[in-house]
Amino acid sequence: MLELSIFVILALFMIGGSVAMITNKQTIFSAFGFLVAMIGLAGMFALLDSRFLALAQIMVSVGAIVVLSMLTILTINAKEESLPHEPHKYKWILVSTILVMPFTFLLYKTLSSFGQNFELTQSFTSKVIGKTLFTNWVLPFEIVSILLLAAMLGAIVIARKEEKEL
Amino acid sequence: MTPNMFYLLVSILFSLGLIGLVSRRNLFIVYMSVELMLSSVNLLLATFSKLLGSPDGSVIALLMIAVIAAEAALFLAMIIHLYRAKKSIDSDNFVKLKERTNHA
Repeated sequence: MLELSIFVILALFMIGGSVAMITNKQTIFSAFGFLVAMIGLAGMFALLDSRFLALAQIMVSVGAIVVLSMLTILTINAKEESLPHEPHKYKWILVSTILVMPFTFLLYKTLSSFGQNFELTQSFTSKVIGKTLFTNWVLPFEIVSILLLAAMLGAIVIARKEEKEL
Repeated sequence: MTPNMFYLLVSILFSLGLIGLVSRRNLFIVYMSVELMLSSVNLLLATFSKLLGSPDGSVIALLMIAVIAAEAALFLAMIIHLYRAKKSIDSDNFVKLKERTNHA
């Protein structure tokens, strides 16, 4: 019963944060909605007994990604006139909601065919995760390290000022 | 607490990301919608991990978090580059590849 109430609270937080993210006009308020959704997701991971994943979510998504987005938003500091002019925003959101609804239903029906009961297992601590990561998943782990290096170089090259602009 | 509730939450979050992706023109909101869709897939992987009782799903979700971080860095760098070029974060302003050149 306690788990159920925690789930409902976290789910409401996540859905509310996502809706706030989609509907707000000011970008920084959207980023706050996104932050609420990410913290709720970390709570969901903890509820699913993936403790290390919850910690990683807090450290990477909340601590790095959301803070980096907010920093970029505040650095760009788009004024009211340079924000996109969207007079029919709610109409578009309503239309796309109606269009996406059948897809949501299809996704839910497909996913519910996978399984109905959680097995009673041990929680996935960092020991279990580390053992699996460094035995069965070593190659993807190395590929991810190369991907992160490439993304870092790419971000530096893209965001750098051109020489002629200086 | 059954997996069905998690499946429903994953479907709703993925669809909300899709709605934000197609209906808004602010580049930052497009970016955050993509992040939301990726994160909902992460939640699905964690659910499968608990459902099957094996840590593989959690490990894939962990690798996914690294991929999401790489995507975020590139996307934000691209937004800064586009803002420098046109002083705008409206995605309708970036249609240069769509324009047709007449001098063949």
